[in-house]
Amino acid sequence: MSNAIGIIYANTATDSLRGLALERPIAAVPFGGRYRVLDFALSSMVNSGIRTIGLVTPHQYRPLLDHLGAGKAWFLDRKDGGLFILPGVFHGLGGNKHTFCIKDLRNNLEYLDKDFAENVVISSGDQIFNINFIGALEFHNKKKADVTLIYKETDNSEGLNDEMFFVMDKDHKVSHVQSSNDLKRTKFVQPFFVNILIIRREILLDIIEKYNFTGCMDLIDILTANLEVLNIYGSPTCSSIGTIRTIKDYFDRSMDLLNLEVRGNLWLGVDKIHTKIKDNPPTRYTSQAKVSNSLIASGCTISGEVVNSIIFREVIIEQGCKIKNSIILPKCHLHTNAQTDYAILDKSVKVNGENILKGSINNPLVVLKKTVI
Amino acid sequence: MRKQECVAMLLAGGQGSRLGGLTRIRAKPAVSFCGKYRIIDFTLSNCLNSHINTVGVLIQYKPFLLNSYIGLGSAWDLDNPYGGLHILPPFQGEKEGSWYNGTANAVYQNYEFIDYYDPEYVIILSGDHVYKMDYTRMLKFHKEKNSDVTIATIKVPWEEASRFGILSVDEDARITEFSEKPAHPKNNLASMGVYVFNWSILKQALIVDAGDPQSQNDFGKNIIPQQLKQAKRVYAYEFQGYWRDVGTIESYYQANMESLREGHFLTIFDPKFRIFSNEEILPPHFVGSTAQIENSLVCNGCIVHGKVSNSIIAPGVFVGKNVEIRDSILLPCVKIHDKSLIYKTIVGENAEIMRHCIIGAGKQSTSDQDGITVVEDNHVIDEGSVIKAGKNV
Repeated sequence: MSNAIGIIYANTATDSLRGLALERPIAAVPFGGRYRVLDFALSSMVNSGIRTIGLVTPHQYRPLLDHLGAGKAWFLDRKDGGLFILPGVFHGLGGNKHTFCIKDLRNNLEYLDKDFAENVVISSGDQIFNINFIGALEFHNKKKADVTLIYKETDNSEGLNDEMFFVMDKDHKVSHVQSSNDLKRTKFVQPFFVNILIIRREILLDIIEKYNFTGCMDLIDILTANLEVLNIYGSPTCSSIGTIRTIKDYFDRSMDLLNLEVRGNLWLGVDKIHTKIKDNPPTRYTSQAKVSNSLIASGCTISGEVVNSIIFREVIIEQGCKIKNSIILPKCHLHTNAQTDYAILDKSVKVNGENILKGSINNPLVVLKKTVI
Repeated sequence: MRKQECVAMLLAGGQGSRLGGLTRIRAKPAVSFCGKYRIIDFTLSNCLNSHINTVGVLIQYKPFLLNSYIGLGSAWDLDNPYGGLHILPPFQGEKEGSWYNGTANAVYQNYEFIDYYDPEYVIILSGDHVYKMDYTRMLKFHKEKNSDVTIATIKVPWEEASRFGILSVDEDARITEFSEKPAHPKNNLASMGVYVFNWSILKQALIVDAGDPQSQNDFGKNIIPQQLKQAKRVYAYEFQGYWRDVGTIESYYQANMESLREGHFLTIFDPKFRIFSNEEILPPHFVGSTAQIENSLVCNGCIVHGKVSNSIIAPGVFVGKNVEIRDSILLPCVKIHDKSLIYKTIVGENAEIMRHCIIGAGKQSTSDQDGITVVEDNHVIDEGSVIKAGKNV
């Protein structure tokens, strides 16, 4: 059993998901037919043997808590450990630009204080990945590290604007960090931080205490400012990390799932992605159904044409519908002859007959939750 | 412990030998049904929907897969602090101990379990029927009639009546006659194998029955006829709703296939009376660009590249390219490799059919078992095999 507890920052908000994250944090955005973004970080921790997980919740936490319940689907309804809700700081209109805000932990100090675990795995809740942390935890212990940063390597830093790149010595000890702008000149393979780290619990408590009166600081900034004082190491992961910041990210990461290799790495292996169980009946295809290259969740009724799309649970697609390159979230109902192309329909959208919804590959059309068209 | 008004005893120990290859490694209640379900899901969900939260599950035949599926009963919300689900296998006593010899004997051996909860009523259920029933209505009827024993009944087609226990009733629904599987049925009111007893009456009857060496210790054959003979108040509660016997390959196949019809689908999957199951967590199913699916049910975790029509595809199934599946039931985790043809076949769990096979070949109408071919659980069919319709392999 791993001697670690987990913290997931599920309070990252964004205004660039065009409505999908209007009333929910990114962590609660539905993804991949039956999951929510948070499921990936949560399942990774559970599959790594972590049975005590604290969740930093955002201001709008209803959809998140609705999904999680007592954490039973993730085996977190436990006597020893379990799921802990850590109410996050309300950041006001400016929003939260931090990754791991220290203030969020300070408000929930008891969670860290009362546990006996040696290490804390901290992850953001807005990324799509499936990583087993057992290897990294072993590495962390072997190196007697204070902090281990999980990284990925890339020789193409394009599109990675917010990421923190760093340089390590032969022993994998982090020597200094770079922003992606400094990298533009080099063409070498570079490791970048994927917003997942392991830190000794005592050190985390020290940091929280030390930075008690300095407003809202980010743990990562504190760590990089103390590179010389702390033993900070890097441990690689080969899992693909899908960060969802914009609607294009969301659309592309979703469509990637139609690729067998992506699905294979993400959810066809030994480590399953767990999610809320709904006990839906199987999906029913009528004799008019025509489906190809699509992911379909349970509880749907399909009588129309579906191509290159992702259909969530309990969606009804009536006769004559043409659904192409679209993402249809749970409980949508598309009436006779409705058509969509490059569209994302949020939960419970009703599209009346004969309507045509069309976006484009770089600019998918988003229809807000419960809209009737 | 808290006194319970009603305790359910669920008979799940039978082999279900008429299901042949489907029950070779598992008890009948654990056989997959309608894609993502197992037969016992229906009875356990009925308990949940009827607010019966103390359930004893009597097991005996090949119990491992059944037990691991039921677990603590939490998938049906039966992990309850005041009662809950209890698996009851045969056990050793201080001096004696034996296998369960018949349905009545199984309940008799567990009378201490029932006494522990000190109920007014005991409801006897069987784990091998597919039906949706609110037991509270039957219990209400039992109380209203001030009855000692109430038997749930359903009208069956006349031609099938000789397969069931058939009842005759007077105008007050009191049972006047009961005959188990009569050759020439006088009536078509069949027993569903669901009984409500006053516990005091049942306990007495079980003790008498256990002392009778001639008895087969069976509810239908011994206990019920005895109660009638003693002029106890035995009533018939006529159930109207969805009920299917899935005891034979033919009836199992028919009951599965019925769910493809629109009206039946809505009856079985009515959201007001949900059927719960202990499902494995699997991703959504993937339909490839060469796939063609019509009039079928498909579950989570499947990957479909071939043509599927009029069929039921359970969780985790793989259907390769240029495969054709027609009028068939594929049970969980089956693999059908490229270019195989499957007609009117039940393919058992984890079975694998290699490339270029034809299963259910030839005229299906003239062969045995209504032309239904059965491939057993875990069976691997070699590349290029041809299996004639109506065969069991």
